[in-house]
Amino acid sequence: MYKTEVRGPLILGDKNYRQISSDIIAPIDRPAPLWWKGVFGLGILATLFGLFAMYQTVAKGIGTWGVNNSVGWGWEIINFVWWIGIGHAGTAFSIFLLILRQKWRTSINRAAEAMTVVAVGAAAIFPALHMGRVWLAFYIFPYPNTRGPLWVNFNSPLFWDFIAISAYLLISASFWYYGMVPDFATIRDKATSKIKKAVYGFFAFGWTGSTSEWLRYEALSYVLGGIAAVLVVSVHSIVSTDFAVSVIPGWHTTVFPPYFVVGAIFSGFAMVMTLMIIIRKMYKFQDYVTNSHLDAIARILIFISLIMGTAYATEIFIAWYSGSQYEMFTFFKNRITGDYTFQFWAMVVCNAIIPQLFWFKKIRQNLTIAFIISLLINLGMWYERFNILITSLSKDYLPSSWVTYHPTWVEVGVYIGTLGIFITGVLLFFKFIPMIAISEVKSILKVTSIKKNESKNSSHGQ
Amino acid sequence: MDNKHIIGVFDEEDALMEAVHEVKEKGFRIGEIYSPYPLHEAIEAMGKTSRFAFVAFLYGFAGAAAVLAFMYYTAVIDWPVNYGGKPTNAFPSFIVVTIIITILTVTILSLLTFSVRAKIYPGKAYILPDARSTDDKFVVIFDKSLLNGKQTELEGILKGKGAVEVYEKELKPEN
Repeated sequence: MYKTEVRGPLILGDKNYRQISSDIIAPIDRPAPLWWKGVFGLGILATLFGLFAMYQTVAKGIGTWGVNNSVGWGWEIINFVWWIGIGHAGTAFSIFLLILRQKWRTSINRAAEAMTVVAVGAAAIFPALHMGRVWLAFYIFPYPNTRGPLWVNFNSPLFWDFIAISAYLLISASFWYYGMVPDFATIRDKATSKIKKAVYGFFAFGWTGSTSEWLRYEALSYVLGGIAAVLVVSVHSIVSTDFAVSVIPGWHTTVFPPYFVVGAIFSGFAMVMTLMIIIRKMYKFQDYVTNSHLDAIARILIFISLIMGTAYATEIFIAWYSGSQYEMFTFFKNRITGDYTFQFWAMVVCNAIIPQLFWFKKIRQNLTIAFIISLLINLGMWYERFNILITSLSKDYLPSSWVTYHPTWVEVGVYIGTLGIFITGVLLFFKFIPMIAISEVKSILKVTSIKKNESKNSSHGQ
Repeated sequence: MDNKHIIGVFDEEDALMEAVHEVKEKGFRIGEIYSPYPLHEAIEAMGKTSRFAFVAFLYGFAGAAAVLAFMYYTAVIDWPVNYGGKPTNAFPSFIVVTIIITILTVTILSLLTFSVRAKIYPGKAYILPDARSTDDKFVVIFDKSLLNGKQTELEGILKGKGAVEVYEKELKPEN
């Protein structure tokens, strides 16, 4: 095997195994810091507001939203696709990088997976609410029923979507959980209080770290990683068929599946960057989430941003090349110019142009700017979904049915609610679960860091 | 039952593996090795293999066949619906659901298999010889009843290879 030394040490500070355990467990042992309580409070408020908006939707009906006959999909579907996109980071990070045996993933995958589970959970709220009569949501399960039995339509992208999202949620949650089992055992065995030992002991499922456990554990993670890698591509491809299978101008294109998948990974990686900068700053994990980790994420973002730019250009080119006047109208009169100019150019600037700043090493290393750029990318990705949905739906083939669309406070409220759920979920993760995969970081410590730290120190000495 | 074990505690992976190879050569039977992260060398030394990938393949195959059969039954035999004159057995578009459910089947059954084979489940009474092995120590254990009086020799080897502690302990399940 070739051993190429591309990266510097992944773990800084000459740690030993014991320090790794205690560093990563420390936030669980300490009482929550003040900023945590403050933000958690805000998150709860946002969640409550969202619950009230959801109550309005369910009690009074979809009429409380701004959607209408022409724009049948508004903020709900924008936000649904946005959250699912953010939820792609976990799989992209832990599964793709696991299969590619990228060791630098170990400091980041746990947080990325946590984010995935919360984001996909938040996303799932929207289609459920959009059904209108949410108490009949179980109709979408193909079960023997007294209505015929009338089965679901297996050819419908909306059904595929339901299957894809629920499978994705289940699989990423179980992948995440099984990754944590050895770490829960570590917390159990280091715990001093009885309650903590019992609680984490329960979640550790009796893990001891024997060879027979590790053997199957590794086999399991490669099997799950290998098979779930398909999900990174399939989930958002299926979401894109919700649009691409229709005949609406601007949607009916074959570029949609790859375009959606790349966009999802883009927003996922941006959110991971946002989160890792926060974790690193607030919990002083600079030795684990090093500058070179963030540098690697920034480089990936440049690359994906170029693909996004290419996808936007391709869409515009195909609109012209197709010779379809409706496609031409949507792209040239309702996106590049027209009523939605701002949203279109916000998308292009945030996704295709601003991330190109990461070409400069100074910007990659300036965490404040990197943080702002990562937020701008997610803003841009929100505008992308706005563009796809609203510009296409508001002005379709029949000018007499053209409308403008404005969200009502209920729609905004549901979105704020999902933001609240995301924030509280992530904060609970910060407090109660080791943010970095302890056993995985230990497994890479020797190979990647100790020797390099030594050589670095000795070269300093010379 | 007498469940006395000799327990060797190591600070380093390399020292542990040297000791493991040495005692294996001398004909001692290793009870189990505990480590804070997976040691492939130790798994090999214990002579353990897993057919997990093959079993997962079988799950996938069975899952895919079952899903396709289910969709064929519901959409073609039980309640055929005419969607704009399209064929009821819409095989290409059945593939989407088949892929996803196959992945889900493999995941769920693999998790169950893992739980059964590695004996990891909620509320398990586990035997952990030295609690530091989930933190920073590498632990190897030997069943005392199988040593045939060669305990001093074994302890000598373990210490010689750099064990930080060697002691005797009666192992009891914890909860």
